[in-house]
Amino acid sequence: MRVVEAVDLTKVYHNRYIALNALDLTVDKGMVYGLVGPNGAGKSTIFRIMLGLQRPTAGDVRVFGESMTPQRADLRRRIGFLPTNPSLPRDMTPISYLQFVGKLLGMDRGEVMIRLTTLLQAVDLTSAGSQRIDELSTGMVTRLGIAAALMNDPELLIFDEPTSGLDPAGRRQTIELIRELSGNDRTIIIATHILGDVERVCTDIGIITDGRIIHQGPMAEMRRLVRQRTLSLEVEGNIRHFEQQLPELDPFGAIRFERIGSEFRISFLGAEPIPTYVQRVLDLVDRTGVELLHLNTGAYEIEEAFLRRLEEDRAHSFVRASAWTTAQKLALPPGSNGATADVITEAIPAPDHERDGIDAANVDADLDADGHEESAHAGGDGDTEAEAADGGVLHSGTP
Amino acid sequence: MEAYFTLVRRDLEQLISSWLLRGWVVLLAAPAAFLVVVAAREDELASETLAAYVAAVLAPLSWIVISVLAGTAVSGEASTIADSVLSKSVTRSEYIWAKITSRLVVFMTIYFSVVIPFAYLIDRYAISNDTTMSGVMSGVVLVGVLFVFLTSFGIALSTVFRNSQFAVVAALLTVAVSGAVLQFLGLKWMSTTAVIGGLPETFRGDTPFADQLRVLVVFAALSLAAIVSGVWVFERRDL
Repeated sequence: MRVVEAVDLTKVYHNRYIALNALDLTVDKGMVYGLVGPNGAGKSTIFRIMLGLQRPTAGDVRVFGESMTPQRADLRRRIGFLPTNPSLPRDMTPISYLQFVGKLLGMDRGEVMIRLTTLLQAVDLTSAGSQRIDELSTGMVTRLGIAAALMNDPELLIFDEPTSGLDPAGRRQTIELIRELSGNDRTIIIATHILGDVERVCTDIGIITDGRIIHQGPMAEMRRLVRQRTLSLEVEGNIRHFEQQLPELDPFGAIRFERIGSEFRISFLGAEPIPTYVQRVLDLVDRTGVELLHLNTGAYEIEEAFLRRLEEDRAHSFVRASAWTTAQKLALPPGSNGATADVITEAIPAPDHERDGIDAANVDADLDADGHEESAHAGGDGDTEAEAADGGVLHSGTP
Repeated sequence: MEAYFTLVRRDLEQLISSWLLRGWVVLLAAPAAFLVVVAAREDELASETLAAYVAAVLAPLSWIVISVLAGTAVSGEASTIADSVLSKSVTRSEYIWAKITSRLVVFMTIYFSVVIPFAYLIDRYAISNDTTMSGVMSGVVLVGVLFVFLTSFGIALSTVFRNSQFAVVAALLTVAVSGAVLQFLGLKWMSTTAVIGGLPETFRGDTPFADQLRVLVVFAALSLAAIVSGVWVFERRDL
């Protein structure tokens, strides 16, 4: 069952700022959907439209199969929302605020009291229950916001930057809470720019930038978008000697690595499976006599994939913009400019994900078909691929 | 409707805990008590005492307090309105009507609970043969309608401006300059100053019924227009 469906969702503020640009988004029942994107990408705007707090300039958002408007209180009753750094009534206490929310939700007094005591305990606010909200810390207010969102046990939970402003302990607690909330057919949408949070709790991911979803699909699929296999390790001892031997890990030297102090981040571009490379790294550690402090595989996978998608999207925009600019520069007779632009656009190679068929609309089939072939060619093609992931210039973006 | 009543109750609680509102009650009641004593001792005319109280104490104080409390009704909650209220199962209409209801109820309750005992005491202890019961009632109702308009207008402005200070200043200034503008337009009878200035006559029962009705209808219509505009704007704006 489709819980949220946005089609061509567009939001333009005061005819000046495009917050959402014909965005399509689908979230199915039971998903824990991570909406990831840089600040200002449009994450909060989607939520506000989803809740009927704002109206779309064009397009439509359907929640539980029905169009959301400011008057659809019945739909909002089925949604629990935690805004970023929630602004709650400062003069209230957690107990009075949850009572207030319970009444707004039409719950009876007894039910409200049972629910609020359970929730205050769950979010560890029992002892602060009678403190004024303006005396609570940021973390406590966020936890209170979570409790308020859960007051009537809604089917859909929307968390906008739930770990924003929290200390590491608070962040961990919040993530654990979200993890506990998932399942039981409950759908959760989390907007964040902290990729670690997404990796820990989400089943699906959507990447948003400049008001558009540039990728959405299961987390596993997202991980497969990372072409190079990455391994991070920290060693002690004769680090220089270890570093000098690193290219020998691949018979063709198809590796890239960077060193930050005693930490190495190694990307294997060759065709061999990652366990083989891990074994070779361990052998190298033995051989060079360094002490291994830690070794992680795939620690940066999601980050890599995320950055890669953003880079590809930017390159794509650049290609289109270049084509348009070039067409404008050509002093051709009026009427022929459009055709010229099309020809130029076609002549310029498409970004990686489109060329390889990893298209947001058609990810499944293409990834399966493409992934293996990609590994086989990694040795020869690897440099450019790695440049892309490292924030370098994409070959597809330089016609 | 459950949400509407919850919001009304919440707003009433907020208003009652406001020091501005409490100060307003004290500042209205204390001079009223003082005037009753003075009127009794000095044999003042009831109509003049009542009119002086309205012109010197009730109107200016209420103008400021109502403008502030009505002007901040929605804009004063701009930061919490979306996060803690309208993202729940509440419609915009429920929220704005709850605000209108609670503010009108509180202001009218305070106004009538001060002015009715005051009018009664003045009538009893001052020289009261210059007032009529119907004249005093008309005067009280006319001033009440002015306050209803001021409340509605302030709330309407608070839906337009996101900044509560702008809303309050706009409410204060509009009333302040409206007298001059209406005089220029030849509609001086519509101005609040003209209504208040004519109160001694009204209390004496000398103001023609048609004139009173005209003021009543015009300000009731203006109040309705302000409320409708406020609701319309609020239901359409992005939060």
